[in-house]
Amino acid sequence: MVWPVAAQSQEATRPYRIFWFSTQTQPDPFLDGFRDGMRARGYVEGKNLTFELQYAPGDPEALRQAISEIKRGKIDLVVSSGPATRAMTAVREVPVLFALSGDPVELGIVKSLAQPGGNFTGSTFLSLELAGKRVELLRDIFPRLSTLIALSNTNHPGEQSEWRATREACQKLGIAPVYVPFSGPRELEAALARAANIHADALLVFPDAATMVHRASIAEFAINRRLPSMFGWSEYCEAGGLASYGANQKATYFSLATYADRILRGESPADLPVVQPTNFEFAINLGTAKLLGIDLDESAILFRANKVIE
Amino acid sequence: MTRPRRSLFVKYFMTLFVAAAVPLTLGAASDAWFVYRDQCRHLNEVLQVEARSAADRIQTFIDGIGDQLGWVVQFPWTQSEDDRRRIDALRLLQQVPAIASVMLIDQAGTERVFVSRLRLNRTGRGADMSADPAVVGARAGGVWYGPVQYQHDSEPYMRIAVAGKRPAAGIVIAEINLKLIRDVIAAIKIGDTGHAFVIDGSGRLIAHPDISLVLRGGAASDEFERLKSAVRAAKGSAAITIGNDGGPVVALAVRAANVGWTVIAQQPIHEAFESTRIALWRSLALIAIGAIVASALAYWLAHRMSGPIRHLEDGVARIGMGKFDHRIAIHSGDELEQLAIRFNEMAKELAISQHKSVRINRLKQFLPPQVAELVETSNQRLLDEQRRDVVAIFGDLRGFTACSTRAEPETLMTVLREYYEAVGAVTTRHQATLIRFAGDGVMVLVNAPVACENPAHRAVRLAIDMQAAVQSLVTSWRARGYAIGFGMGLAMGPATVGAVGYEGRVDYTAIGNVVNLASRLCDTANDGQILLDPVAAGKVKDSFALVSLGKRLMKGYDDAVQIFAVARHGTAMQDHACPLQPADACHEAFACPRNPVAST
Repeated sequence: MVWPVAAQSQEATRPYRIFWFSTQTQPDPFLDGFRDGMRARGYVEGKNLTFELQYAPGDPEALRQAISEIKRGKIDLVVSSGPATRAMTAVREVPVLFALSGDPVELGIVKSLAQPGGNFTGSTFLSLELAGKRVELLRDIFPRLSTLIALSNTNHPGEQSEWRATREACQKLGIAPVYVPFSGPRELEAALARAANIHADALLVFPDAATMVHRASIAEFAINRRLPSMFGWSEYCEAGGLASYGANQKATYFSLATYADRILRGESPADLPVVQPTNFEFAINLGTAKLLGIDLDESAILFRANKVIE
Repeated sequence: MTRPRRSLFVKYFMTLFVAAAVPLTLGAASDAWFVYRDQCRHLNEVLQVEARSAADRIQTFIDGIGDQLGWVVQFPWTQSEDDRRRIDALRLLQQVPAIASVMLIDQAGTERVFVSRLRLNRTGRGADMSADPAVVGARAGGVWYGPVQYQHDSEPYMRIAVAGKRPAAGIVIAEINLKLIRDVIAAIKIGDTGHAFVIDGSGRLIAHPDISLVLRGGAASDEFERLKSAVRAAKGSAAITIGNDGGPVVALAVRAANVGWTVIAQQPIHEAFESTRIALWRSLALIAIGAIVASALAYWLAHRMSGPIRHLEDGVARIGMGKFDHRIAIHSGDELEQLAIRFNEMAKELAISQHKSVRINRLKQFLPPQVAELVETSNQRLLDEQRRDVVAIFGDLRGFTACSTRAEPETLMTVLREYYEAVGAVTTRHQATLIRFAGDGVMVLVNAPVACENPAHRAVRLAIDMQAAVQSLVTSWRARGYAIGFGMGLAMGPATVGAVGYEGRVDYTAIGNVVNLASRLCDTANDGQILLDPVAAGKVKDSFALVSLGKRLMKGYDDAVQIFAVARHGTAMQDHACPLQPADACHEAFACPRNPVAST
């Protein structure tokens, strides 16, 4: 067959433009995951694909300016990473792929997970359901856990649901949660200062752009305060957090490229169901454990880890 | 001339074309048919193998999970071992990615351990599960497979329950995330875009290489249910139907027995019959090329056949119109060329023959037909000018001029015609040369141009016959009241003979004294009388009874000439100045020659 080759070469004459919106900082492991995914699909940056990167670390509102550009420019696809999606809800002109830790239905960008029905689709990381699981795992690692600080960015979509799920889990497990909310990255330092004054056994940090950006300082804070810490994604753990439980972000972004490819080929995001992760990654940082003096009983915990950082 | 409705060219062309094109078309068409049949067979096999393989893999996948679950129900429950059991369950989660949660139930049907990837774990006595269909089912059959359920109406899950060998070992219930079956299914590729997928009893998609179709929920289940029933109606062989994406597909269904699901292997029809289509196109191309070649060949052959034939027809028509110099030029190197050569030869022969017949006709003006033929075929130099002995015979009607003033012209023409016919017939019979008719006179020559034996004899005999023939006419003319008679004179001697004339009108004539003498004798002769000069008389006196009429002076002759007359029947050689006699008497007189020479 000759046509597809001709079609491809024709496509090659006009590279696809993808806008990448993120509230992370660069280097961005999620962007790397997505780029790898696109490369695996046969896209070559600079040849048939160009990325235009819009970063506003920890502050979705700062993206508004760039979002208004979407309506003017000729853009094939927007990929919004994490809370950046929050700023995108008004976009109707361009297909938007999201990777969200919150609930996209609650955010109002999709009608249902099975049939998004609009210009949005992507992945949700099931943060809500995992919230309780993280408390439980923290308890398994540190059985004497009785008071838990929950550090949460209230700007994050679905944050209240996540806090509620955490509270319920704590109640079942007989743990007293202490809610330390903050609003945006500027308030993070103040929130940590407040947490420092709380007499608690452990720290639970909700996965979110703000905390992701400052993951290293939060992990350092936890070690300094000798608090076993639990996070949402393994990136936190790699930055010094004790443990994390959640979907593999990089893998999620890698597989998001499948949808990007299908949308660029003309499929409607309205028909592409929102994907939920199948595999959850339990990561443990043994170095941090040693620093905290926690003895991880091999038979009880370590065998459950998918990723052990020595 | 009307042309035939269908030309030879069209007939030849059609016949040759059909003879070449039909076997080719049949060959190509049967070839395409066999390719199609083989492809159908092949496709059936491939789809069968792939669907079976997919069903087997799914069974293996599910059975594998069942086997893994078997590990946690090997030991009987005791009072204080929940924690150890919890570890077992957690290890199971770790081992089998598809398991989302594990619940362990003791022999009493009470939940003892629950571990999950998402929800909170539970240890210790929990809810009474003894009425749960999973527990009931596992107790009854050892292994129980639950219906497929969809979380958020999107993600397919299924519960599997396995009972221990002994009731004391309890039961394990696991929730399986069926999204992982996709990996089993996605590995199956049929052609480029063919694939296998799995449908449950209600038509909902369980596994598909495109996972988004599964996650889309029950929206398309009617479509899949229709597809399933359409394919299953084929009872294990491939069926052609409309696929879930709206395009025609070849599909085959196989049942995965343990879970009761249907595995459908399908391939888009355009791809499945790609080879058939290529074969069909190849056949069509062959037929087209064959038809072109056949028609070109048929055209060439038909043209080669009919062209020369037209050429022949045209040539023959020209020859038929008298153009004998026309030659048909055909160089086909075959029978047609031979035929053309024959025609050309024929034209040549015709030209010669026509030329000859023209000349013969001309000779026939003054020669009897057989003599003319003879002159024409034997020796044309006979007509050349020469001097020889001839016998000149003149005859002349008496009283015709006087008669002509009274009679009707039509009547005169009738008289002349009868007279000419009679004279001509006698001349021809005696193979003499009729020189000319001149009004009521006639001149005949014997011994020229064709020589004969004893010309004097022949001349006298001819004269007697002619006189007799004319006298019989004279009788009838007189009966009608015309006073007409006939006298003759003949003389023998040398004369110059030859053909003279111009522009195709040629007369044969004789010039010499003998002609004049014969003419004078004729003038002298009375009705019914035949006068001879001395030379002729000398030649025939032994054969015919002659009467000497003595010497007479004649116009143009200084000396008197001895004249003889042919004696009439019964008269001796005596002076016989024969006056005009009654017709019957004259007739009698000439009727009996003494010597019957060549009187036929």
